[in-house]
Amino acid sequence: MLIELKDVNKTYNNGQPLHVLKGIDLSIERGEFVSIMGASGSGKSTLLNILGILDNYDTGEYWLDRKLIRDLSEKTAADYRNRMIGFVFQSFNLISFKTAVENVELPLYYQGVPRRKRHEMAMEYLEKLGLTAWASHFPNEMSGGQKQRVAIARALITRPQIILADEPTGALDSKTSVEVMQLLKRLNQEEGITIIVVTHESGVANETDKIIHIKDGIIGEIEENKAHTAWDANIIK
Amino acid sequence: MKPLFDTDTFREILDSILRNRSRSLLTGFGVFWGVFMLMLLTGGGQGLKDLLVQNFEGFAQNTCIVATSTTTKPYKGFKKGRTWNLEYSDVDRLKAMVPELETVSPSVSLWGKSVTRDENTSSRAVVKGARADYANIETPEIKYGRWINDADNLQERKVCVIGKRVYEELFPEGGSPLGQRISIDGSYYTVIGVDWKDSGGISINGRASDAVTIPINQARRAYNLGNTVHLLCFTAKEGITMSDITPRVREIIARKHFIAPDDEQAMFLLNTQLIFGIVDNLFKGINFLIWLIGLGTLLAGVIGVSNIMMVSVKERTTEIGIRRAIGATPRQVLGQIISESIVLTLVAGMAGIVFSVVILAGVELAMTTDGVLKAAFQVPFGTAVLAALLLTVLGVLAGLMPALRAMQIKPVDAMRDE
Repeated sequence: MLIELKDVNKTYNNGQPLHVLKGIDLSIERGEFVSIMGASGSGKSTLLNILGILDNYDTGEYWLDRKLIRDLSEKTAADYRNRMIGFVFQSFNLISFKTAVENVELPLYYQGVPRRKRHEMAMEYLEKLGLTAWASHFPNEMSGGQKQRVAIARALITRPQIILADEPTGALDSKTSVEVMQLLKRLNQEEGITIIVVTHESGVANETDKIIHIKDGIIGEIEENKAHTAWDANIIK
Repeated sequence: MKPLFDTDTFREILDSILRNRSRSLLTGFGVFWGVFMLMLLTGGGQGLKDLLVQNFEGFAQNTCIVATSTTTKPYKGFKKGRTWNLEYSDVDRLKAMVPELETVSPSVSLWGKSVTRDENTSSRAVVKGARADYANIETPEIKYGRWINDADNLQERKVCVIGKRVYEELFPEGGSPLGQRISIDGSYYTVIGVDWKDSGGISINGRASDAVTIPINQARRAYNLGNTVHLLCFTAKEGITMSDITPRVREIIARKHFIAPDDEQAMFLLNTQLIFGIVDNLFKGINFLIWLIGLGTLLAGVIGVSNIMMVSVKERTTEIGIRRAIGATPRQVLGQIISESIVLTLVAGMAGIVFSVVILAGVELAMTTDGVLKAAFQVPFGTAVLAALLLTVLGVLAGLMPALRAMQIKPVDAMRDE
């Protein structure tokens, strides 16, 4: 079991207490391609933040690769994020004054990898994603799809066990959305990386093998979707 | 553990600074101006002090001069308004009764004398009678020959040392005038030396360049002065404060000449140590002001840096959040912001130091005549190093608050503001 959540609760205390996660139990196996689906305000982003060790939870347990993730020091949390998790964001979150290759290098910089090695590896990953020609371009010179592929290369470069993608297609048109999802699927199948996608689009969720529905802070239905027919089924329903 | 400062870190810092050139430039300008002002004022102050001190050059700093005037108070049966003179015997009296005195040198002076070499060349000068030890009071700058010595005085030789202007007027052709004879009031004197000293700010009985100095015994005889001495100059021994002994000097002379002990106008005592003290204090005050203004400007500049860094951190919330999300530790973020601040402060400050050094070098160039520097305006190397160190410290302080703020940024913040 790569990820295991037991009765995780999270309340935001901004003025009025807001109970966002109300006892989440969830387990995800190594090598799964999962989507978490829910409407906005359902708590899916909060769940993703907790899975990515970007945020703390109040009660319960979160085991990541048999380590209890709780009350970690900032340094350890940063180290886990750096080595175990790759992030892909809706708005790409590339650093605008760095070129594509520099953006991809950045996680390795924080690992202390020497510059030449870093550059080599970054170029290798850009090639893998078909971006060699764009290596020295700045983010604002690239299309949304290209930016997202750079972001994926950045997520991959530390060879993480998990990729957490928060609405990875949210800012893309439908054609590039399909391409990005195909890419994630390929990474899952060929590299065996566990991928968790958070989305509110059923079309996107349909590309994944398992769909976890979340509603009002509670896990609802968990659909097996090996045949990728969920979307059609939903439409028929 | 990575070294604190490698090329990678440096590139990261440079990237962030250069990304916002105009803002970095304006921020740096505050620090630049502060350091520039501080260095320029320090150098300028030093130079001015140099210039002023030059006025006293060649003048013993613990000298006291006694001169006489008519009495203003009746004393011991004498009416006020009496004219009196110092006597040659006062020299030995003072030496015997005030052991703290180093040199006591008497002098006489005769104003407006006409000095001639031949029918065509003449000059007007002050004829001064002095002893060899007068050189301890007002150091002559001998260009040719020598100063008057004890033998000249004892044997009442008819020799003279002429001042620069007198030399230039009597010997317009230049060259050594030694051994030549000049006439003063019908007597012939052999030139034994030329005093090249130009006017310092202090001169006793006329400028050195206008003087023709002859042995005092010769002067007393030639001009029938008898025992009369016009001026007594004395210096105190090493480590003695002149003001401590002047009351005793006054008392001894006053008693001998029946002058009221509190008649300050009848006996005029000029203590150069007091004057030097005033100048010294003046420059202490000026220096204090310089540092106050300079450091104030610098501080304002540094606060500017801190402010801009604060804005910058706020603007870069997303960027810092991303860095945190992909594995930067808070410590690394802290290090980056502080380093940025140090680099910005240091580069701007160094530019300020360099610029002020260039300006001061220009001033020195302008003050140099015939290859001789009149006053040193340049800031000493030590001061510059100190300023650089100070800048580093200020850079850290300026970066501290923004860096702490940056450390508070959570990686989740990267995903907000969308």
